[in-house]
Amino acid sequence: MSVTSPATSAPVASSRFQGRGALLGAGLVILALLPLLTGASPYMLGLLISALILSGLALSWALLGNLGGMVSFGHAAFFGVGSYASALLAAKLGVPVLLAIPLGGVVATLSSIAMLPALRLSGPYFALAILAYAQIFRILATELDWLTGGAAGLQRYPGLPTLFGIDLADRAGSYVVVLACVVLFAVVYVLLRKSHVGTALRAIAESEDATRVVGVNATLLKSWMLFLSAFIAGVFGALNAHIIGFLEPDYAFSGVWSVMPIIAAVFGGYRSVLGPIFGAVVIYLFDQVIAKSLIPVGHQILLGIVLAIMVLLAPNGLAGLVRRFFTKGQFNKTSEKSHAGA
Amino acid sequence: MTDLILQALFSGVLIGGVYALVALGLALAFGAMRIINLAHGELVLLAAYMAYLVESRTGLDPYWAIPLALVVVMAVSWALFVLVDKIKDHRELNSLILTFAIGIILTNAILLIFASDMRSTSSAFLQDAVSFGDLFAMRGEIIAFVLSVVLMGVLWWWLKSSWYGRAVRAVSSNRNAARLMGINPARIETVSFLVAGALASFAGVALYTMSVVQPATGHALTVKAFIITVLAGVGSIPGVFLGAVLLGVTEALTVTLASSALQELAGMVLFLLVLFLLPNGLFGARARRG
Repeated sequence: MSVTSPATSAPVASSRFQGRGALLGAGLVILALLPLLTGASPYMLGLLISALILSGLALSWALLGNLGGMVSFGHAAFFGVGSYASALLAAKLGVPVLLAIPLGGVVATLSSIAMLPALRLSGPYFALAILAYAQIFRILATELDWLTGGAAGLQRYPGLPTLFGIDLADRAGSYVVVLACVVLFAVVYVLLRKSHVGTALRAIAESEDATRVVGVNATLLKSWMLFLSAFIAGVFGALNAHIIGFLEPDYAFSGVWSVMPIIAAVFGGYRSVLGPIFGAVVIYLFDQVIAKSLIPVGHQILLGIVLAIMVLLAPNGLAGLVRRFFTKGQFNKTSEKSHAGA
Repeated sequence: MTDLILQALFSGVLIGGVYALVALGLALAFGAMRIINLAHGELVLLAAYMAYLVESRTGLDPYWAIPLALVVVMAVSWALFVLVDKIKDHRELNSLILTFAIGIILTNAILLIFASDMRSTSSAFLQDAVSFGDLFAMRGEIIAFVLSVVLMGVLWWWLKSSWYGRAVRAVSSNRNAARLMGINPARIETVSFLVAGALASFAGVALYTMSVVQPATGHALTVKAFIITVLAGVGSIPGVFLGAVLLGVTEALTVTLASSALQELAGMVLFLLVLFLLPNGLFGARARRG
């Protein structure tokens, strides 16, 4: 692939990058301290683990949306494939769990190869094509019962192991593992966005045709984003599978895994890195702790309302609001227009 | 076996009529504003629940719910238009997310009000079997099909002959040129959403009289309507009707020959096949989506 030379090297830009790095670091430290801040009860830790799983999934959705310019309504496909692949590799082939989890991501990436033809579709057609894939995968997981256990589900597969005397399967251990993965992919995302590839992808978002003319293979770059997004979603699916210890098609491929990352990422601001991560934590805790106690059945109505309000009033999400608050008066139109944030 | 297949074809054609109404509403809103209304299936579902409300409260035949459904659904459709119209940045992407959010709100509102049980008509008149030789249908299915075909005729006439209908087509084909001809696009978009809401009202009531509905049906209907517009290509009523019948028949045959668990899969596979092999749809409209 050939990429145009990087255009951003002004001192203003580099100082902004440093500021962003500090913000990112601070955000991740907050995540690490979150269990202590919330009292570290097993119940709260359990919620936070699920919230972080969702953070990873939202990050993967936002990466595809922000860098790849594609809206997916079917991330449940990658999440489900990752969880089943990892659980089956560990259970049937005896692959160590810590190896099976990235392999789950690899299998999810392989499954996304089937979606490559969808890349030439634009907007709603791509979104709905991915939705169709997610449905097909769920039905396949139900029908291929010799492999997946069918609708009855899969339960006898190993959980997270003990490493260097630390039991990763207990809640504190699981939290650390999931957090480490979130941090890892957040860093990958940031590096990618700063790289030539990130510049090229931003150019594609502005004008795909113009970018093609200067020699950027837009389709290839977009397929890499699809692969990476699928890999991340698959890894978090696999983590989730080994932490909860039970899988069934209607759970692993549930539409929830497609809907929640959208809500979380849009709420937090899908054009930033920290936005989807914190958006997921806030949205998940709001849904589980507040919404569910207010409205036991149908609590998603509150999420729908939050999503609608955010799209209408703050399309850049919480991250956009925070940035506007801090940069008030310093930058005006230009900072509003820039895609990337902390 | 032949009997079963013929019966499946027949049932598929009958449900196809209602699918066509749902898809036409989606296509109309898409034509005017270039956005896919992901809450369109939920509008249809809302109408179906209005039919349930009227039938269960008053004991009247569900078709008496049409006026109520028209008022409620057209009002919601108009509100939806007003909200979508507020989006200025990244319109395509944000309008998808917004209508998706409204779909979630409507589905859960229906769930809160009417519970998650499956609902269908209890009218003996509508459930009576009617036979055509070896083929059987419920009377409700026949009425719904006839209603759909008549409405498609009315819509065709409206788009072809009335001033508003021609303005809708003008805005869909070239917004700026239409504006130069003295058409106010914003007004035409409102009209399109209102007509889409009206179609959804009839489709919802018809669906309730011939099938079962539950809160999750709305999302499935949106997906089906989208599949049909992909099959048909955008821009022709007979095309949408044929696409809808094709989807109905495919689903019915899958249920008859394989299992009902695979019904959705059949629609999805058909969708992907057409999307990749015939990017302009079965009936070759000019619009490109790549």
